Amino acid sequence: MQNFIDQWLPLFPQAIKETFQMVTISLFFSVIIGVILAILLILTRPGQPLQNKFVYQFLNLLINVIRSIPFIILLFFMLPFTKLVVGVTIGVKGVIVPLVVNAAPYIARLIESSLLEVNQGVVEAYRAMGIKTHQIIWNVMLREARPAIVLALTIATISLIGATAMAGLVGAGGLGDLAYRFGHLRYEAEVMYVTVILLVIIVQGIQSLGNRLAERMKKD
Amino acid sequence: MIKLENVTKIFPSKKGKDVTALDNVTISVNKGEIHGVIGYSGAGKSTLIRCVNLLETPSKGKVWINGIDLTKLSKEKLRQTRQKVGMIFQHFNLLKTATVYDNIAIPLKLLGIPKAKIAERVNKYLQIVDLVEKKDAYPSQLSGGQKQRVAIARALSQEPQVLLSDEATSALDPETTNSILELLLKINEELGITILLITHEMNVIQKICDYVYVIENGNLIEQGSTIELFTKPKQATTKKFLNTISQRKLSDRLIDDLNLEGKVIRLTFLGENTGQPLLSRVTQQFYVEPNILTANIIELKNGIVGNLVIHLIGNEHQVEQSLSFLREQGVEVEELGVN
Repeated sequence: MQNFIDQWLPLFPQAIKETFQMVTISLFFSVIIGVILAILLILTRPGQPLQNKFVYQFLNLLINVIRSIPFIILLFFMLPFTKLVVGVTIGVKGVIVPLVVNAAPYIARLIESSLLEVNQGVVEAYRAMGIKTHQIIWNVMLREARPAIVLALTIATISLIGATAMAGLVGAGGLGDLAYRFGHLRYEAEVMYVTVILLVIIVQGIQSLGNRLAERMKKD
Repeated sequence: MIKLENVTKIFPSKKGKDVTALDNVTISVNKGEIHGVIGYSGAGKSTLIRCVNLLETPSKGKVWINGIDLTKLSKEKLRQTRQKVGMIFQHFNLLKTATVYDNIAIPLKLLGIPKAKIAERVNKYLQIVDLVEKKDAYPSQLSGGQKQRVAIARALSQEPQVLLSDEATSALDPETTNSILELLLKINEELGITILLITHEMNVIQKICDYVYVIENGNLIEQGSTIELFTKPKQATTKKFLNTISQRKLSDRLIDDLNLEGKVIRLTFLGENTGQPLLSRVTQQFYVEPNILTANIIELKNGIVGNLVIHLIGNEHQVEQSLSFLREQGVEVEELGVN
C-alpha cells in the first residue's frame, strides 16, 4: 500500500490532467463542427425549406464513412493529415485532430436526432409569423432541443473519454495510457484498479451532471 | 380581404398517382367577417388554410391578402407579409421551454419590435385573453384552453389584419371550445380582425361564422351565409354536418311507417317566424292534425333557426293546402321519405 502511494500515486494527477485536456479541447471543436453538420443535415433534408439532395446525401455518406472507422485505426490512418493541421503527430496536440474527426460526426448524428424531435408545428408557427430561418434555428430548434442536446453531449463526452484511452499510443498520456503501461505491461494491478475506479467515478459524475442539467432545462 | 382565386394544389406522389388536395377553389372573405370552411378529415381544408399564407404553395391560382397577390411576392416580401397574418393551430405550437410571457415576447423580439414596446404589447394581449396571472407559467402547467389563449395572444401581439385558425378548437372539450369561440368573436368585434377558420365541428360554424364553405375531396361543394346553409342545405354532406348539431334525422323505417298515413314534413323557420304560432293556424284553417316528432331551435351568429319535424295527418288536399300556406309564410318545407 505504502509502496503504491509512494511510487504510483504521483502519476495520477498528471494523467487525469491529460485526459481532461484531451476531452475538453476535442469536445469543444467537435461540438462546433457537430452542431454545424447537424443543422446542415436538418436544413437540407428532403421536405425542408433548403432541401438539397446532393448536400444531404454527401453529408450522410461522409458521416457514415468516418463513423465506420474504429478510432484506433483512424488515429494511424490520419497521421499525415494530423501533421498537416497541427504540425505534430504525437502528444496531446497530435491526438486532438483524430479525436475531433472521430467525435464530430457522432455528435452531429446525436444532435440531428435531438433536432428532429423538436415539434415541427412550432417551427411552422414561426415560419407563419414571418420569422427568418436562421432565427428559427437558433430560437426555436436549438432552444427546444436543449435538454436533448445536453443528454446527447453527455453521451458524447463519455465516449470521448473512452477514445482518449487509446491516445497513449501516440504518446499523449492520460488515464488509459497509465493503466495500459503500468497496470498491464508492468503487472501493477493496483494501478489498473485505481484507474478503473477513477474512470467509473468520472463517468458516473458526468452522467448525473448531464441528467440533472437536462432535467432542469426541460419544462414539462 | 382574403381571396383565393382558382387555387389548385396537387401533391406529386412517387407512385405516379398525384393527389389533388384542392381543385380550383375560390373563396373570398370580406374585411371584418368570419368565414368558416367545414369538411371531414382529408377533404383538403388544412391544405386550403395553409395556402392562404403560403405555408403550402398552390400549384395553380392566386392568393390575395389585402389586395396583394402573395404568389407573386419574393421570399423576403412574403416573409414580411406573413407578419400581418396571424395563425393559430390545433396543437397550439408553443415553445415548451419558454414561459407564457416569453412565448409571446420572443417572436416580437425576433421581428425587431423595440424592447419597451414588447412588454407593453405582451401585457396588453395577455389581458385580452385573460391570462395575466399565468404570465410566468410554462405551457406544460396550462390546460388546453389556456394554451390556445396564449397562442391567440401570440398571434394578436403581432397586430395582424387577418387571423387564420387551423382547427383551433378541435383538441378542446366542448366547454373550453365555447370559451375560445367567444374569445374569437370578441377579437373579431373589438379589434376588427378578419377571421378564416377551418373545422370539422358544425357548432363552430353555428356560433361564430358569417359565411360557410363546405369542402369535400378538394372541391367546394356548397357555400352560403350560415343562415342559408342552416335553412336550405342542398348537398348530402352539408345535411350530414347539420345532423351532428340537432336531432334532425329520424330513421328511414320510422318515416316510411308514418308516411303510410299522412306525411312527414320538416319545417325550417327563420328569424321572426319562429315566434309565430303558425302550426295552430294550420290546424284551424285546414283541419289537419300535426303531430310533433322533433323540434329544436338553433342560435346562429346572425339569427335563429327553428327546426320542426311533424307528422301531418289529414286528407291529401288539405295537407297540400297547408304546405303551400306554410311556404307562403316563408317557412322552408321539406317532405321526408319521399324519393
